[in-house]
Amino acid sequence: MATATAGLSDPDFARFCEYFYKRTGIHFTSAKRYFVDKRIETCIRESEYDTFASWFSALRMNDRSSMLQGLINQLTVNETYFLREDYQFDAMLSTVLPGVLADRGGVNRIVGPVKILSLPCSTGEEPYSIALRLLEEWDQIDHVDVEIHGADIDSEVLAKAAQASYGERSLQRVPKSWLNKHFVAAGAGRYQVEDGIRSAVTLHRVNICDTLSMRAFRDFDVIFCRNVLIYFDELSSRRAAENLYGALRPGGYLFLGHSESMSRISPIFTPARLPEGIVYQRPTGAK
Amino acid sequence: MTSDTATRPRVLVVDDAATVRMYHTSLLAEGGFQVDEAANGLEAVEAAMTTAYDLFVVDVNMPKMNGYACVEALRSATVGTPAPVVMISTEDRPGDADLAYRAGANLYLVKPVAGDRLVRIAGMLTAQRGVPA
Amino acid sequence: MGLVRKQAPQAPEEVSPEQPAAEALMRQLDDPDPEVRREAALALDGVTEAVHALLIRATVETEPRVRDAVLTTLAVHDTEEVAGALAVHLASDDPGLRTAVAEALATMPRSTPSLIPDLLAAPDHDIRVMTAMVLADLPHPEAKTWLVRMIAEDSHPNVVTAAIDALLPVATSEHADVLEEAVHRFPGDPFLRFTVQTAVSRLVGTA
Repeated sequence: MATATAGLSDPDFARFCEYFYKRTGIHFTSAKRYFVDKRIETCIRESEYDTFASWFSALRMNDRSSMLQGLINQLTVNETYFLREDYQFDAMLSTVLPGVLADRGGVNRIVGPVKILSLPCSTGEEPYSIALRLLEEWDQIDHVDVEIHGADIDSEVLAKAAQASYGERSLQRVPKSWLNKHFVAAGAGRYQVEDGIRSAVTLHRVNICDTLSMRAFRDFDVIFCRNVLIYFDELSSRRAAENLYGALRPGGYLFLGHSESMSRISPIFTPARLPEGIVYQRPTGAK
Repeated sequence: MTSDTATRPRVLVVDDAATVRMYHTSLLAEGGFQVDEAANGLEAVEAAMTTAYDLFVVDVNMPKMNGYACVEALRSATVGTPAPVVMISTEDRPGDADLAYRAGANLYLVKPVAGDRLVRIAGMLTAQRGVPA
Repeated sequence: MGLVRKQAPQAPEEVSPEQPAAEALMRQLDDPDPEVRREAALALDGVTEAVHALLIRATVETEPRVRDAVLTTLAVHDTEEVAGALAVHLASDDPGLRTAVAEALATMPRSTPSLIPDLLAAPDHDIRVMTAMVLADLPHPEAKTWLVRMIAEDSHPNVVTAAIDALLPVATSEHADVLEEAVHRFPGDPFLRFTVQTAVSRLVGTA
């Protein structure tokens, strides 16, 4: 029907943005109007509905359905590559890890490794990026043991993460010197992460919403959980937040994606302000 | 009145009701304040970590973090803002005002609050801090 | 020192720890350590025989973190027993409990609707305000109808304004009349007048 391709009216756009913000914490300004209009048109065209009103009403009534997930896929660019949202790794190096060491008695008295979890780790770019930045830039890496874990629900992406072979697009932000030092050429323009790093990252298959499985994750100092909670309905995101809380050591740190906020999900974490932005902490008081 | 944004006092309106935020924002903006909005207590706490406010106007019943917990968090070591807080409640239960003052609010009001009264109170509370409205 | 591996095989690890018995978890709901209670509440996900114990815990729990975990687990049991027992707390003097319960009820579209007629008739207007909060987020086709009825019929201005706030995100031009009528019913309320004026001007052009 022609009505679906005429773009949204101003009030419909405003109502859509308010709903989407409430559900996902992602805010679209009018500068994004054209983009949002086009993507919604695509969603409506691919649905069984033929007007914005009927589609929007169905979306709101089926809060747990795949409709919202399809919409989020349309409206977010879900790309993974090395050193993505790098400022959070800056924060990890400059503020978070020194805080972790101080909490745990200092570099000379710390017992057990510093534990970092990337969840979901997808095809591995995130956990390997963490490893690269630690090896290249953290001045304590020779004095402290660090365990890096990657976890995902999808066994296919985990198989790729284990293989750790990447193309140009994925590696575009990796400095040439790092590429030479930590990767080996794998043919056809691809590079594989060298064995030492590859074998140091432990991979797990887990569903973040499954409390029983998540109980295996304990005492992490830092967790990166970026751009996944926005996909969940209210109850699932709350349960995922509870499970992340359980996986952190008291005082441990949680990074969400840059457009995400725990304020739409759960009050159990304490936000902490870093020069690079907000990070969430499991409070130390409530054991 | 000059409306130089650098000198106008900055207020955070905290309410889960979009209509209430819009109403309080329009009143305070007309009264010469810069106004930001937050839809629950947690959003307010995060906003207060990144922006220095001269006044908070906080609702009581909100999801995720209610108004009292929000004011306590604003007053806690994590945020530690000394800026005045006005709590505005839809309800007039006995004991609510006590809870508000114990949490650290400077003033507790029950809805509806007349527009000129809100602006006058905001003016007085921010003037005490030396920021002219 | 440096990067170390946990001590594990090359293939991705399948995570499958043992689930403690339900009876043990239910006992842990009364543990003095709040973290034990919180974890027990989460671990009781999907355990039907634990519903009663969780409902009791929701009533007596004072630690907000534990209460949130209890309600997260309970809300999955979208049954009339659970919804009815939770709805009692909409009248609680504890603002944390009443808002947490409103949030939980809004995620229970199968059972919450059966409670709405009674909640709309509650003599305490504070309960009716909380009911509007529930309806704002309840994914149910009748939610709009109930909100319109509250706006048209409720005698308390704060209930009417809460219902208007809940309706506006889904309101269309056909609701302009009921909104304007509310202003006539409460002519002395400046907030109501401002809200309806702003809202009605935005409704023009919505389908």
